[in-house]
Amino acid sequence: MNARTRLSSRNWFGKASAGLALGFGLAVAVSGLFAWFGPGGLLAGTGKTQFNMWLISPVWVATLSLCFLFPSSRSAWYGLGLANLAAFGLLAAGRWLLA
Amino acid sequence: MRTDIVRMYRHIHSWIGVACGLALFIAFYAGALTMFEIPLQRWATPPSALPSPPPLSATQALLDATLAARPEIASAYYVNVATGPETPARVSWLKEARRSRDDDGPIVEFGAALAPDGQWVSARLEAAPVTGLIDRLHQQVGLPLPHEAAMVVTGGIALLYGVALFSGFVTILPTVLRDLFALRLGDSVKRLWLDVHNALGVVSLPFHLVMALSVVVFAFHDGFYATQDAVVYEGDLQQQWAQGRPPHPESDPAAALLTPDELVDRVVAQAPGFAPTRLEYSTDAGGRVSARVLGADPRYALRGPTFGIAAVDPYDGRLLQTDYLPGHQPVYAAIVSNFFALHFGNYGGNPIRWAYFMLGLTGALVFYTGNLLWIESRRKFAKRDSPLPAQTRSARALGSLTVGVALGCVAGISASLAATKWLPGRVHDVTTWHEGIYYAVFLAAVTWAILRGPARASFELLWAAALATALIAISSLVAALVPGLGGWNWGGTTLVVDGVALAGALLFAYLARRTRRRVLGAPHDSIWAADR
Repeated sequence: MNARTRLSSRNWFGKASAGLALGFGLAVAVSGLFAWFGPGGLLAGTGKTQFNMWLISPVWVATLSLCFLFPSSRSAWYGLGLANLAAFGLLAAGRWLLA
Repeated sequence: MRTDIVRMYRHIHSWIGVACGLALFIAFYAGALTMFEIPLQRWATPPSALPSPPPLSATQALLDATLAARPEIASAYYVNVATGPETPARVSWLKEARRSRDDDGPIVEFGAALAPDGQWVSARLEAAPVTGLIDRLHQQVGLPLPHEAAMVVTGGIALLYGVALFSGFVTILPTVLRDLFALRLGDSVKRLWLDVHNALGVVSLPFHLVMALSVVVFAFHDGFYATQDAVVYEGDLQQQWAQGRPPHPESDPAAALLTPDELVDRVVAQAPGFAPTRLEYSTDAGGRVSARVLGADPRYALRGPTFGIAAVDPYDGRLLQTDYLPGHQPVYAAIVSNFFALHFGNYGGNPIRWAYFMLGLTGALVFYTGNLLWIESRRKFAKRDSPLPAQTRSARALGSLTVGVALGCVAGISASLAATKWLPGRVHDVTTWHEGIYYAVFLAAVTWAILRGPARASFELLWAAALATALIAISSLVAALVPGLGGWNWGGTTLVVDGVALAGALLFAYLARRTRRRVLGAPHDSIWAADR
């Protein structure tokens, strides 16, 4: 982050909508990574299925909280978009390796 | 910490607070009361018309008579191991109550008993609906919407609430150690409210985080699962659930079932410390019976609000699945049960329930003081030798709403509870009456606060809340003194309900007196000064 950019709450809408939409995508991807590659693997019983679902909540809330640290709305959409690509890419690559 | 980051998060915190604070107040106040749902339900339930239940060891005769009289309930029926005023029948079942031929009514529970002369009798169980109202207000942040629609609002508020917790934490981070337990009574009103808000907020932060994160799940789990099914599980989710269903009993369907007391003994032998409260039986098309045992174990987290569940073979008593049986769960299921239990406060028995009750009330206070702070930071101070400045409309409006919504919720719940012992037998639809009383009092309080202004409404509505809350205990007293009116008292722990109501009424009356004094003596450059 550029230290000369003064952060403010003025451009909250663009950042928050990125946090809401792409934060949800990121949370689903992280839960998917844990579902496939977390301890126990994909079929570890319905307890793990539920645990995987619960993971979405903290990741989504954390992203929605931290998205305001992006200097601009555009950088929030780019940054979180890249994070989504990386997370879903990892998920696809991991599943391809397992298959 | 960079000052621009702190300032940004302070803005975010205060605007989310203004947007969600009052909804969260209702959720927390009603939620605190749901901690004692079972005693409250007992307090509120009228005496049943049924003969008293037989001991568990003598239930088989009643069960046989019930299944002979109502063969259609074999598909699903209950044996209540724990009976009491709120569960007056040993054997019960659910039925849709139809008000007319085309109208599907609500689901109601029926119970059966044997009269002293051996005759089989059944009756609708009048479990008090008022605890259901409080639970619905809690879940739906007070909104009278269809449940699905309300849960979207609740979920959205929970997301914002999570952000408010983070942003509030960042806001006080630079000064947290210096300011945490400072209560600067002398400096200014704003400083005082800020110190109270911060001290309560920081101390109960873990509790609030648990609530925010769990409510996001409670509100959105269907959507979460559907999304994961599409992008993570490739449509395999239904299959995963199917594999998680308890196995069917292997015994011969023609074999005799264990009697309920034998079944309970065998379950407790396999799971010592587990206290069964209800056996749920179901019969499939082939005549094979399955059973689930509901019960509690205060040493462990429970998956349900007040119970855990075991699937059991009703023919030989073997545990078939322990995924939700406290103390016997697989690791991931146990972790998930802990998430539920941290929300419900159902571990550790009554001390934890009281702790959650207090945390819920102080949580409501955090939202209340948050609004007071928002108002105070927009206050226009009088300058010497200048005319009195006008306070902003938004500050006055938020002041009225804060007082009206918060105290309207308190008074409305109390009024609805106070009516509990006088509605059955006098009105046709008790549930709707409870809801009507709550919303009538709530809307009257909000209207009053808007018309009278925040200053006068603050102490007047506190008096109203004190009166409504006192009526809870007074209604029990009247029921005891004038038995002919049809009221009731169960004694025992239900007296605590009346005691807490009395204490609450005294607290509200004390606050009303103090607030009145403050309003009459308030500096004129405040929305809390009367006579303007």
